[in-house]
Amino acid sequence: MRAVFQTLTTAGTVARLEWQLEWRQGHQLAAVGLFAVASVYVAFQASDQHTGAAAWTAMLWLVHLFSGFTAIGRLFDRERSNVRRYLQWTASPLGLILGKLFHAVLTTTALTAVVLGAFLLFLGWPQGIESPGKPGLLVLGAWLGGLSMTTTLVFVSAVASQVRSGSGALAAVLGLPLLLPQLILATRLTRGALADEPWTMLVEYPLFLGALGAGTATIACILFPYIWRA
Amino acid sequence: MNALLLLNSLEGFFFGSGKAHVVTGVALIILAGLALSLWRMDRRLGKLEEEARTDSH
Amino acid sequence: MKGGWNWFWKGGSILLLAYVIVRGFSTPLQPGLVSATPSQLTIAGQSVILTAVGQPFAETEDLPEAFEVVLRSGDQLIQTEVLEVSPHSVKISVNIPPSMPSRALDAYLFTPASGTLFLGNACFVEEAAKGDVPPAFIAGAPLPKAPELGFSFPYQPNIMESIRNLLWHVPMWFAMFFIMGLGFVASLAQLRTDSIQWDMRAEAAVKTGLVFGLLGLATGSLWARWTWGAWWVSDPQLNGALVTVLLYSGYLILRAAMGDDDRVGRLAAVYNVFAFVMLVILLMVLPRYTESLHPGKDGNPGFNSYDLDNSLRAVFYPAVIGWGALCYWMYTLRLRMNRCTHHLLSR
Repeated sequence: MRAVFQTLTTAGTVARLEWQLEWRQGHQLAAVGLFAVASVYVAFQASDQHTGAAAWTAMLWLVHLFSGFTAIGRLFDRERSNVRRYLQWTASPLGLILGKLFHAVLTTTALTAVVLGAFLLFLGWPQGIESPGKPGLLVLGAWLGGLSMTTTLVFVSAVASQVRSGSGALAAVLGLPLLLPQLILATRLTRGALADEPWTMLVEYPLFLGALGAGTATIACILFPYIWRA
Repeated sequence: MNALLLLNSLEGFFFGSGKAHVVTGVALIILAGLALSLWRMDRRLGKLEEEARTDSH
Repeated sequence: MKGGWNWFWKGGSILLLAYVIVRGFSTPLQPGLVSATPSQLTIAGQSVILTAVGQPFAETEDLPEAFEVVLRSGDQLIQTEVLEVSPHSVKISVNIPPSMPSRALDAYLFTPASGTLFLGNACFVEEAAKGDVPPAFIAGAPLPKAPELGFSFPYQPNIMESIRNLLWHVPMWFAMFFIMGLGFVASLAQLRTDSIQWDMRAEAAVKTGLVFGLLGLATGSLWARWTWGAWWVSDPQLNGALVTVLLYSGYLILRAAMGDDDRVGRLAAVYNVFAFVMLVILLMVLPRYTESLHPGKDGNPGFNSYDLDNSLRAVFYPAVIGWGALCYWMYTLRLRMNRCTHHLLSR
């Protein structure tokens, strides 16, 4: 009981630390937001509001994917080395990864709102498709897809941060194939939600995305102690 | 036989022309080459292991 | 004694594979109907040619009277007259009834030696009223004769002769699962013991498994070209297979990026455990719950449609054992190489 409580306290502390870091360094969150909005604007300029559903979906997920990389890809080498060493000696690894995951979930939620909002603002609804579709499912799909990508990315960036040189590039190389299944499910769900397909055909996709996200988060929590104390 | 070749070239190829024997032969030659190289590698590794064993004594 | 056993299973794998190659390519395919020309029936007394692939279903001296062709419309059988027979085709004459339950007709060809051949939706009738087939056109149900086919592979629509790929594609994936499973166990042991012995095992397993994964992808792609008409299609099973191979390539990249860092074993083990869990999810769980073209998936486990035939089984099981043993042999070579390298470097 006490161990659980301690782990949760650590998690809370780490999440708060991350949050403070985010505000104090300011530019990080702003950089991600700028990246997302600028990418959406490029997509808008390239397509000039004549985008079909397939291209719309493809661009949405490309922007989402690379914004996610920018935000989460270096989650484990942001602290200054003395803070990191302090965490390594004092914090329990499980609490640490839970805190990082919690922070990543918050970031992804904000990121989803920014990306989807910018998309609807600039590109509008895709051409050749009746307007409302399933807006709730569209938002849910973007959020769940983002989350299941994020949990994987947290694990990958934890692994990559242990490599001394070029860990940013390594996170991208290791991360992209791992994110393919989530992206396949998420794009399929987004297209279905846009085209207003019946619920019975789509209901498995949010379930799979949720399960995949929860599964990868669980494996990450189990394996993280082995990485951290290495 | 020609009608079969037109129908589906794989079926005609296998069925009509007797090329199945050629395919079998090529596959067997590749298998023999693979077996030979694996066997040689096995033997060389055996020698290396022997050297390493005498080396450590 | 130990050396004897070693040469027994290593040589045995090669002999088994030689048997699989010879048997797999020389066994004839059972005959199966592939087309009816013309497939549109317009005039009464029209003649239609039914063509088959596989081994011949008739001898050249066979008489047309020994064969019988029946067209099925809904649940009713329409009689035809067999005019000519050749080893791979029959020519029939059809009197189109004025009314029938369905205008799409299935064809049944009853042969004296090769059993009954079936072609679904063989012909379409241009014009006919909906209703029962008049009694004058109805065929008596012929008695199917037991086939005397000998050792031959079953005919499957679309797959046809390419069923021989079953002996390559499927065992290669089995071998990959087997050796990746071994790597997974080695990585778990590595995490427990932190010993380089287990790390070397895991590394050898992943490298060997990748070779078989790539071979599985290549044979699968070839098969997809023949049966589905494209080198690659978007399908849960295929996506899973590709992602798995990319994932394990990531394992090698990670190792290479770590260089001679002494934490490489630990980190690689962590990644490998994660990769294997993803492999199980991607190749064994997800495809079963989503629609898939790939046989053996889409809710039904195993590959029952192929499993039925004894002649195929007699080659398929040796193929599984042969490829598995070959894969394990390659793994042991890689492992011994790793050990030698380690010994030389740590001297």
